[in-house]
Amino acid sequence: MNNKYIFGGIIIVVFLGIMGYLFTQTNVQYEEDFTKIVNSKGTIKATGEWVKEKHYSIDKSNNIFTFYMKDFNGKEIKVVYKGAIPNNFESSTSVVVTGKYQNGEFHASDILTKCPSKYETQYEIKETNS
Amino acid sequence: MAGNIFITFALLASVFSIIMYYLTYKGYTNTKNLARIGYHLSTIAIIAASAYLLHALLTHQYQFSYVYNYSNSDLSTGMLMSTFWAGQEGSFMLWLLFTAISGLILLEYTSKRGDLEYRVMMIFTLALAFLLVMVSPGLKDPFTFIWSEPTFIDIKNIKQSYLSLPFMQQFTFSDGNTGQTLIKMNEQLAGLLAGNGISIDQFIAFGKGLNPLLNNFWMQIHPPMLFAGFSMATAPFAFAFAALIKNEYKDWVKQSFPWLLAAMMILGLAIMLGGYWAYIILGWGGYWGWDPVENSSLVPWIVGVAAIHTFIIQKKTQSGEGAGRFVKTNLILSILTYLLVLYSTFLTRSGILGEASVHSFVSPGMMVYTLLILFIGTFTVLGFGAIAYRWKYLEKTFTSEDNMLSKELALFTGSVALIAAALIIIVGTSAPIFGTAVEISFYNELGLPIAILLGFLNGLSLLLRWKKTSEKALLDSTKMPLIISIVLTIAIVFLGGIKDFMAILFTFSAVFMLVVNLDTAIKIFKGKKSFLGAYVAHTGIALFMLGVVATGWFTREEQVELKEGQMTNVFGYNLTYTGYTPIENGEKFKFNITVEKDGSSNIIAPVMYISSFNNSLMRDPDIITKFTNDFYVSPVSFEEGGGKKENNSSATKVTVTKGQTTEYNGAEIKFTKFDFPPDAMAAMQSGKDFYIGALLEIEFNGKKYNVEPKMETKSGQRSFVGAKVKEANLNIELLNLDASGKVELSLSQINNNNTESKIEEVKLPSLWVEASIKPFMNLIWIGTLTVVLGFLIAAFRRTKEANK
Repeated sequence: MNNKYIFGGIIIVVFLGIMGYLFTQTNVQYEEDFTKIVNSKGTIKATGEWVKEKHYSIDKSNNIFTFYMKDFNGKEIKVVYKGAIPNNFESSTSVVVTGKYQNGEFHASDILTKCPSKYETQYEIKETNS
Repeated sequence: MAGNIFITFALLASVFSIIMYYLTYKGYTNTKNLARIGYHLSTIAIIAASAYLLHALLTHQYQFSYVYNYSNSDLSTGMLMSTFWAGQEGSFMLWLLFTAISGLILLEYTSKRGDLEYRVMMIFTLALAFLLVMVSPGLKDPFTFIWSEPTFIDIKNIKQSYLSLPFMQQFTFSDGNTGQTLIKMNEQLAGLLAGNGISIDQFIAFGKGLNPLLNNFWMQIHPPMLFAGFSMATAPFAFAFAALIKNEYKDWVKQSFPWLLAAMMILGLAIMLGGYWAYIILGWGGYWGWDPVENSSLVPWIVGVAAIHTFIIQKKTQSGEGAGRFVKTNLILSILTYLLVLYSTFLTRSGILGEASVHSFVSPGMMVYTLLILFIGTFTVLGFGAIAYRWKYLEKTFTSEDNMLSKELALFTGSVALIAAALIIIVGTSAPIFGTAVEISFYNELGLPIAILLGFLNGLSLLLRWKKTSEKALLDSTKMPLIISIVLTIAIVFLGGIKDFMAILFTFSAVFMLVVNLDTAIKIFKGKKSFLGAYVAHTGIALFMLGVVATGWFTREEQVELKEGQMTNVFGYNLTYTGYTPIENGEKFKFNITVEKDGSSNIIAPVMYISSFNNSLMRDPDIITKFTNDFYVSPVSFEEGGGKKENNSSATKVTVTKGQTTEYNGAEIKFTKFDFPPDAMAAMQSGKDFYIGALLEIEFNGKKYNVEPKMETKSGQRSFVGAKVKEANLNIELLNLDASGKVELSLSQINNNNTESKIEEVKLPSLWVEASIKPFMNLIWIGTLTVVLGFLIAAFRRTKEANK
């Protein structure tokens, strides 16, 4: 057997094996249905809307930012984020949080806010006018 | 119009050139000159089209959709030029332009080398033609007029004097959400304006401008560099294809080598320039975030670098008429490098990644999507089809064994490890296509063992000889470097306090690589300096790896509040925020921070501003760079002073708008209205004492309570008076009033509140920053530059060899 195939083969097989394993371990699932999030264990990227009526709260001394988010069905979850409030949070149209659901709260490691950009505004107007 | 004519002409000329080159390949003798003329005409037309676009940008011709969407009259000339590649259309144009120019050089280069020209240029021009189709009228062409698709233009961007025109009414719309007034620009309006003798570029006074993230110095360098690398990566594909169609595999490595090296040098530098940009301006905090855009340009680079290593083997093992070893590997890797460039473009330009990236992608439409797939498909079929066609011959002619202890095997194994890394990154990056994604740790955990392996393999490969090394010889040559490396690693581990096992192994690997390469470089330095390339490049990689250890494992960061005039200590640095200064006509604000450490004092000033482009807050960090570490300060938020200091940590802070209700511990708190005494306004202006109250209605267990926390001003001193509802166990503190109809409250439970806040303190302005220490960040940049230098030396050497 050719040495290079042995060496090359081992490397590829070993790393692809580890890759396959890690892929399932570090998998982030996109989810827009919050009822599914409540029953999940892994890391999730959840897209939804901030529940403005329930306000947000900031605990500055512990640097924790908490708010409620709802999905398209109106299902709400509480989101806890260690860090400062994103600056354009209030004007956001939709929020994407990455994290895990534990003990009745969604612990976010990352918050991404989407703002009504000029581009989208135009798009909406186009819809209504044509 | 002119732009589209140039592009269409260039496309026709390139197709003509391909056909003529093909006929030359088929044996015609009089077609070669025609093919060259075709290529040159195509290039001239592409340059003309680019010049036309640049001119349109520099002279603000807003009748072009592209000019309106990506540039503005207030940009400096340099930045205005960089808007050329700010949008998708323009960046395709840039790629096209660089490909055309690379092709000119390639044509010159191949025309001197026998029958190489038509074999190489045939396929290269095909790649050019595909790019031309991409920017053809109706697809991604940057020359579309703004009225050809109805476009809504913010009224601010229209020259005011034209708004009074009688027919303007029917084109004016207002958007309920944002309160903007917009002008609908369509063919009808364009026609009416033209009828009144008004040109569109007069009518539109301003463009949308450049995205603030792109509006800085590095925008002028990073994208052109990247596309130059992409363009040059076309050449190795063309050389491999040329070898396959002739079924001759000896000279192509020599001929292709300088192109491969130059392409990878430029691409590598471009990738790290992007990292530097992200670090110093964009405030990502680091130089690499495993973002799909970064990843997808890294993958072709890794594969190209793997190809470089197997190219060396083929060159080294050539003798007489023998083509050398690893012919198949080299052909496949050369083809893959370009295919991955195309795949990278597909991932980042097709809109397929959607929300997966911090970079924003606009879906380019079905046509472009299909075209990109066709582009990749064609080149995959051509490349791998040719290999499949020749496979029997290749398999029969170029199969050989390697000795276990040989440089060949070490190099090959290294290449395989690189390919494994590329594969891993591509799988992770492509995951969003299948509706899933991976965390950053996926890349880090897999990349680390591969990097460790590569470090050892590299060191080892230099100690091994070609063909065969006796075990004794290997042991003898390894002993010294190994001992030195172990000693150095132990020293670093102890001085740096490295505890993580993988980090120690990684350090060892990097140090071993560094020692062996430096040792070899010093030996060679006395002899042939042109042979230094590889060792210099690997020294750079080793330094880079050490930089990764330092920044990856030892970066410390903390979010801190800096109150104006008060000193705060972070990681041994004393920070004092001293106030902000407006810069750039008051559009941006510099937040000045005095940084004191060990008696020396510096001022750093991170910048924050609200960009009118996208109405969002932009934050630029500032850095104190020393050799041993970077002190990185990124602004987070700023609060003006005036309100009352918050002194209850268990309290919940809420902002309630007039008429709205908030909930706290079962109590519903409604802010009904302000209590604004009639004489308050006069008192406020004359400086007398006054108060403003916030009327709150609290509902608890079905009962209603009314309270009124107040803001009072007594002899110029402002204070706040809170309120309590004992029945609801509720303590309300007023933090601030906002004239627009909002109050800021701090809510807490009374019985938790054993120490009631008595000190009425006026709140100081406060700046929140994220401060971090990044040890030996410089090694990353020094390492990168050293790698580029190594590439440069190697490219010179291989160019010289290719001329023999």
